[in-house]
Amino acid sequence: MFDSYFAYIVNNPISSIAVFVTVLPLTLTIVRRAFLDQSLRLLFCYLVAKFIIDLAMLHFAANRTNNIIFYNLSIPLFYALLGGMFYFKFAERPQKRFLIASMIGLFFFCAWDLVNSNEDLHNMREHRVVLYSKTVEGVLMILLILLYFYEIIKSLQIPNLLTFPFFWICSGLLLYYSSLIFIAPVIHYAYTWNNTMDLGITEVIPSIFEIICALLFSIGIYHYPPKNYAKQ
Amino acid sequence: MQNSEELKWALLIASLAMLAMAFCMIAFVMYYQKRRFEEEKRISDIEKNYNRLLLDTALNSEETERRRIAQDLHDDIGTMLSLTKLSLNQLSKLVGNSGDEKEESIMKKSQSLVEETILHVRRITRDLVPTTLERFGLMEAIEEFIHKLEEDNNLVIAFQSNTEEFPRQGQKLELTLYRIMQELVNNAIKHASCTKIDIALEIDEEMIGLRVTDNGVGFDPEKIKESNLAGLGLLGIESRLAIVNGTVQYEQPAKGGSSAIARIPVNPASGNKPEPLHPFRRERVNI
Repeated sequence: MFDSYFAYIVNNPISSIAVFVTVLPLTLTIVRRAFLDQSLRLLFCYLVAKFIIDLAMLHFAANRTNNIIFYNLSIPLFYALLGGMFYFKFAERPQKRFLIASMIGLFFFCAWDLVNSNEDLHNMREHRVVLYSKTVEGVLMILLILLYFYEIIKSLQIPNLLTFPFFWICSGLLLYYSSLIFIAPVIHYAYTWNNTMDLGITEVIPSIFEIICALLFSIGIYHYPPKNYAKQ
Repeated sequence: MQNSEELKWALLIASLAMLAMAFCMIAFVMYYQKRRFEEEKRISDIEKNYNRLLLDTALNSEETERRRIAQDLHDDIGTMLSLTKLSLNQLSKLVGNSGDEKEESIMKKSQSLVEETILHVRRITRDLVPTTLERFGLMEAIEEFIHKLEEDNNLVIAFQSNTEEFPRQGQKLELTLYRIMQELVNNAIKHASCTKIDIALEIDEEMIGLRVTDNGVGFDPEKIKESNLAGLGLLGIESRLAIVNGTVQYEQPAKGGSSAIARIPVNPASGNKPEPLHPFRRERVNI
């Protein structure tokens, strides 16, 4: 019964680890009761959603079924959850407004991209990865992270960044989205049902940084509740 | 095929470059944040030191002024009063020879007033400059202070120390402890309506502890500070302690009253003995 899953995991160890490593920050969130913080609660939701979607994708991939629809649909959802974390971190209203607008904008952009990238939406077998949405999501996330870093430096409220959970979370996201930003558009051409293009080692870079990102999330959550943080 | 290989390399290099930038950004944020905090800390330390210096200067000026007034009282008014007493004695003899009782009575009254004034001047002078402190040390000064207080008030003041020979400390430290003890005892007398005050002086290898406990009505120091009622007393104690890296803690014993414990790091006196205050000299005091 599990042969196909084992075979998939053995053939794709790095991307499989990237799926199961999510359990680590998830467990830590529960153990450290990090979900009591509004931002970390959204991160918890993101981790739960990611884990479910990744398991579903693994299931379909192991059974040789096209699972790309999950990847495409997860883009606006993940951005809403991850971007939502910053809503509680930004102090100024224009930043919050920009965040909400970007969430709504990305949702419609993803919908357009989905239609644009797939001639026949009902044909799930030939379903393809969206061309621009993941890159746009990456650019927006990096922008939010840089804005937050700017706020940290400007406000000088956190004496030791190494013990501040959200800094680790931002670092993990920054590395993950940086690793993905150039690869994401190429995936549209590479991940087709006939798979005519081999990306080599480049293909596993996002998975490696997905694992690193999960580990950095774990370090951040481990440091919850934040020490030496002057709350406003 | 060749284009595909080139694309792979281009993607790899671009991704690695992007990752390098991300790493640099994280490192920069950490470094810059740390540097800014160090800078802020440095500025705050400078401000703190400056305030401490100001406070130190203010307290030095106060002690210098006390000494100057004591000196003027002793040298000028004291001398004049002594001369007045001498003159009155001579006049008293002349009046005594005349045999007028009324004149004699006025003369005696004048003599007694002058003697009383001389005593007052001596007391004020002693209060202004704790000569016993500088000559014999803290324990003797506290004992003298208690003795004077017990004479003037209906109070029981107990003093105990964990050592018989209290080692001499730096002049500034001894004066600080003495002034704090004075302030705490005066506060207890003025505000606590107490009948008994215990003073304890303890010393170990690192710290000197001064505890003043009374059986009066007690007080909540936090409330007093919050309501800006601290006045010069409690603030003065904290200011003096800040200069010698000391701390003060207020407690409310279960049996009632209040207790204040001041702790100061030990600072043994250097080889040079402090200059005695008497005879008064017109020079600045470096405490």
